[in-house]
Amino acid sequence: MRKFLLSGLILGASLATFATEEKLIIVDEGSWQADNGRLSYFEDGRMISNEWFRETNGYKLGDNPCDIIAVKENLIAIAVRGSNLIQFINEKGEAIAAVEDLPNIRCMATDGRYIYVTSYAHECQTASGKLTFTKGYVAKIDTEGFSVVSACEVGYEPEGIALYNGHLFVANSGGYSFQEDHDYESTIYLLDPSEMKKTGEIETNRLNLYGRISQSGKYLCLNSAGNYYDVAGCGLVIDCEKALTNPGESFASIPYLATYNTTAKDNKFLAIGSEYSFTEGGYIYTCLTIDAPSVIESKGESGYSTSLPGTMAQDIEKMTSPYGIYMNPFTGMLYATDAGSYGSAGKLYQWSPDGKLIGEYPAYINPGWFLALRPDSYQDSVEAIEAGSEDSDTPVYDLFGRRVAAMEKGHIYIKGGRKIIL
Amino acid sequence: MSRIDFPTFASKRFLIMSLLPLVMPMAAKSVTSTISTDNSDDFRIDTIPELIVTGLQPIVTSQTLKGTELRALSTTSVADALKYFAGAQIKDYGGLGGMKTVNVRSMGAHHVGIYIDGIRLTNAQNGTVDLGKYSLSTMESVELFNGNKLDRCQSPSEFSSASTVYFRTRRPTTDSLSLMLRAASFSTFSGKLNLQTSRKGWQAMIDAEALHTKGNYPFRYKSEYEDTIGRRSNNDIRYYRLEGALFNKGFSSHVYYYYSERGCPGGIVRRLSDKYTNIGREWDSDFFIQASYRNSYGPHSILANLKYSNEYLRYNTDYPDNQNTVKADNHYHTNDIYAAAAYTWSPFTWLDINAGYDFRWTRMKADLKRFTPVTRHDQKAVIALNAEKWGFRLAASILFQHYKDFTATKAGAADPLHKFTPSVTLGYSTGNFNVHAWYKRIFRVPTLNDLYYTQSGNRNLKPEYTTQWDLGGEYMLLTGAFSFTAKADIYLNRVTDRIVCLPLRGTYTWSMMNYGYTFCRGLNATLNGRYAYKDFNFSLLTSFTIQRDLDRTDPESELYNKPICYSPTFSCGLTGIIAWRRLSLTLSDIFVGKRMWSYADPDDILKPYNNVDLKLDYTHSIGKKFNIGATFEILDIFDVQYEHIPRYPMPGRNWRMTLTFSI
Repeated sequence: MRKFLLSGLILGASLATFATEEKLIIVDEGSWQADNGRLSYFEDGRMISNEWFRETNGYKLGDNPCDIIAVKENLIAIAVRGSNLIQFINEKGEAIAAVEDLPNIRCMATDGRYIYVTSYAHECQTASGKLTFTKGYVAKIDTEGFSVVSACEVGYEPEGIALYNGHLFVANSGGYSFQEDHDYESTIYLLDPSEMKKTGEIETNRLNLYGRISQSGKYLCLNSAGNYYDVAGCGLVIDCEKALTNPGESFASIPYLATYNTTAKDNKFLAIGSEYSFTEGGYIYTCLTIDAPSVIESKGESGYSTSLPGTMAQDIEKMTSPYGIYMNPFTGMLYATDAGSYGSAGKLYQWSPDGKLIGEYPAYINPGWFLALRPDSYQDSVEAIEAGSEDSDTPVYDLFGRRVAAMEKGHIYIKGGRKIIL
Repeated sequence: MSRIDFPTFASKRFLIMSLLPLVMPMAAKSVTSTISTDNSDDFRIDTIPELIVTGLQPIVTSQTLKGTELRALSTTSVADALKYFAGAQIKDYGGLGGMKTVNVRSMGAHHVGIYIDGIRLTNAQNGTVDLGKYSLSTMESVELFNGNKLDRCQSPSEFSSASTVYFRTRRPTTDSLSLMLRAASFSTFSGKLNLQTSRKGWQAMIDAEALHTKGNYPFRYKSEYEDTIGRRSNNDIRYYRLEGALFNKGFSSHVYYYYSERGCPGGIVRRLSDKYTNIGREWDSDFFIQASYRNSYGPHSILANLKYSNEYLRYNTDYPDNQNTVKADNHYHTNDIYAAAAYTWSPFTWLDINAGYDFRWTRMKADLKRFTPVTRHDQKAVIALNAEKWGFRLAASILFQHYKDFTATKAGAADPLHKFTPSVTLGYSTGNFNVHAWYKRIFRVPTLNDLYYTQSGNRNLKPEYTTQWDLGGEYMLLTGAFSFTAKADIYLNRVTDRIVCLPLRGTYTWSMMNYGYTFCRGLNATLNGRYAYKDFNFSLLTSFTIQRDLDRTDPESELYNKPICYSPTFSCGLTGIIAWRRLSLTLSDIFVGKRMWSYADPDDILKPYNNVDLKLDYTHSIGKKFNIGATFEILDIFDVQYEHIPRYPMPGRNWRMTLTFSI
C-alpha cells in the first residue's frame, strides 16, 4: 500500500509537472543595502516574473530577503533581513501584512499559526515590551494578529531553525566571532515553542552551524562551516527523536559541507557544499546525496555520496557560483541556482526528478531561497488513490509532501488523501 | 631668457611651453607674473610684465586646472576639481561625510596615483586615497595625466600607476594673512586661516581649517514603485586640518595633519520605522611630512624624495542600538617611510636618460582577530629616456617593481612579487599642432587589506594588470586676446585579473578574488577658449568623454561584451566664467549619462543627471593691502536628485556663503 501510494504521488506529480503544474517562488536576495530584494515566480517551465512582488503590490519587497516558508494555506512568510521585517503574502503574491522592527533576522519555522524566526540581534520588541539579550534570540510571531508575542535567547548568531514534535531545534553559528568577543558556536538548542524556553542542547563539537536546516521527518540536515582557517567544516545529520532523549548520540557528521541543502524523498537530502579556506584560498564545491538513516546508523562513516541524480552534479560543476538547491516536494522536480558574479542576474536551473536537465531560466541577483506552491491538480492526484488507504499504518505527509513521523497538534497533514488537522 | 627651473622635458622650447597655460590668462590680462630663476647662485624673483611664448606642447595626454580657473569653480575638496576632467569618474558614497575616490578611464581607483608635489599619497591598507581629505585651498594646480607624466627627472613611483593626478602646492609670492569663514546648507560651518610669506628666496605657508556639518540633507526617491522622502542620517562630519609648506628653489617640503570624525551613512532601504538603522562611525588621523629636492648641474639633474606618513583609522559600530550589523571597534595603524633618488643625464640637448630607485617600508597593525602585523618592502627601479629631434619625440621606460611582505600569521605572507613593465610614447609636433601615441602596461599590487584582512584577505591574489594604448592630438591657437586649445585622444585599455571582493555566501562572508577582464575604448576631448576684452575676461572650458567599457570576463556569459557597471557611455563638463575686474560669475554643468549598476534587470540603472553650479565672487580692496572677498554659491541649482551608488543619494540644491579677509 505504501509503495502504491508513493508511486501514485510521484506519478501524479510527474503528470502534474508536464501538465503545467510546476509553481515555484524564488527569493532573490539582491545586493546588500541596495533595497533590491525580489521574488521571482516560475511556472510551467518558464520564468513568469523576476519582480513578482513589486508587480503585484506596486512597491518593493525590501533589502536582502533571506528565507521564505509556507505558514498555512494561502499564507507565506518572507524574512526581509535588511528591512527588519517579515512580509506576509498569499499564493497570488499579494501582500497581506508585515511585522516590523525585527532586526537582523535569518531563518524561519512554523507550526501553522506561529512563526519562529532566528535573529542575530540583541533586542526584540514584543507585545509585552522590549526584551534584551546578550546573545541571539528566536522571536515568536502570531500570524493571527501579526505581532511578536514572545522571544527566547539562544546562542550567538542563530541560523537555521526547525520544528519537530513540539520542539524547536535552533542551530547557533557564532558567525560574528571573527569580529566580536566570543567564539564560534557549536550547539543546537532545543526550545519549547509554547513557553519559549530552552529545554535542551546538542553539543555537536562542530563549529559555525551556518545556513538553513532541511527537514525530512525526524531527520535534519545542516551545515558546519568551520572557521574558514584551520578548522574544516562538515555536514551534519540530526536524529530529532534521539536528540530528545540522548542528545550526544543524536547526530553524525560527514566530511563534506552541506552549505546549500534540501529535503529529498525517502529521508534523503541533497546538498551543495561550498568550502573556503582563508589559509588555502579558493573554493571547493561538492555535490552530495545524504541518506540520513544510514549516516546516523554508521555514525557518518557511510550513507552519503558525492553525486546527485542524473547529470545534476556535472551541470552544477559548470556553474560560476552555485547558490541554492531545492526539490519541489510536490513534483520531485529539482532546482539549483547560480549567482554568477553576485552582482549580475542569477540563473535558475531545472532538472527532472531523475536528474535530467530541463532548462535554465534568468532570475535576479543572488537567487537563493525557494518555495513550491501546490500544483492545481495535486489534490486530485491524491484523491485518486485515497480509496483503500484506511488502515492505521497509512503514511502521513505534510503539506510539502514530506513523510511525517509524528503529527503535532494544530498542524495540517495529508493522510489517505484527505487533509486532516489534529 | 634664462633657463627656467621647472621640472619638465629637456627641450627649452618645451620647458617654456609647459608654463603656457599658467601664463596665458595672465598675459592676456596684462597682469604681472613671477617666475623663479636660478641663473646665479643667489636666488631672486624676476617680474615679467608680459610674456609671449611659443613652443611644443606636451607629448602626454594631460588636463590641467590652475590659478583663477581653479578658484572659480565650486570646489572644496580635490575630488570636486577632478570631476571636471574628461575621463575621470568620481565615486562618492553620499555627500559630505562619504568617501570620495577617482577612477580614470574606468580602470578603477587603485590605478590612479595621487601625488602632492611629486610624492605619492598612499594608503597601504586599502590602496585608495579618500580625496575628501585634501583641500584645494593650498593648491596651485591640479593635473591629470593619462599614462606617465614624463618629466625630465622622475622617481620610479611616478611610473607605477595607470593614470596620475598631480597637485602642486601654491608657492607664496608675497606675505599675506587671510581668514575665511563659511556657512552652508545642512548646518555646515567652516573656517580657515592661511599665513604665507616669501623672503630671501624662501617661501612658507601655513594653512589651518576646521569644518563641522550635520550633513542631514533631504532626499526623495520617486518612481513607479515608491515615493520615499527623508533626511540623510548619520552623515555628519567634523574635521580639522593643519598643514604647512616650505620652499626654496628646488627644495620643497610639506607637513600635513588631518583629523576627522564622521558618520558612515547606510543605503536608503525599505524600512517601516526609523528603528534599527545602520550605524557606524569612523575616526581618521593622518599625518605626513615630506621633502623633495631637485636640481640641475649642466647635463646632470637629480631628484631626492623623503617622506614619513602615519595613518590611524578607527571604525566603530559597537553601540547598544546597533542591532543590524556586527559590532566592531577596530583600530588600524599604518607607518610608512619612503625614500627615492633619481638621476638624469642629458648628454645632448635632445636626449635625457633617467634612472631612479624607490624604497618604501610599510608596517600595518590592527586589532582584528587572527591578524598579525604586516610589513611590506616595496622597491622600484626605473630606466627611462626622453628624446626630441626635428619635432619628433620618443619617451620610453622600463619599470621594475619588487614587493615582499613579512608577517607572523600562520598562513604566511604572500609570495614575493617582482615584475618588469614597459611604457613607450611617440610624438610629433609642427607649428601649433602635435600628435602623440603611447602604450603602457602596469599593474596594481594587492593591498595589505586585500591579502591579509581577517575573514576577507586572500594571500594568493595575483596583481591586477592594465594595458593601455592611446592616440591623440592637440591644437593650440593664440592670437592676441584670444586663445584656444583643443585636445582629443582615442584610447583602448584592458584590465585583467581584477581584484574584487565576492561573498562566500550571500552577503555574509566576503573574500578577495581575482575575477574579471574588461576592455575599454573611448574618446576624451577638451576644448578651451579664453578671450579678454578691456576689463572683461571670458573663459569657456569643456570636456567630453565617450567610451564603451566592456566585460570580457567569460565568453560563455550573457554579460560578455556588455558595458560594465557604473561606466557612462557619455559624460561631459561645461564651465563658463565671466570676470569683470574683481567680480566673477561662474556657471558649470556636469552631465553624466545613464549607467547600469547591474545587468540583472533593465531597471537597474542610475539615471543620467546634470549637476549645475553657480558661483558669484567679488573681492573689494580697502586701501592697498586689505581685501574683503564674498562668495555665494548655489550647488545643484535644479535640485536634481542623483546618485553615484544606488540608494546612496547625493545632496540636492544647497548653498554656500563665504567671506574672506586678507592682508
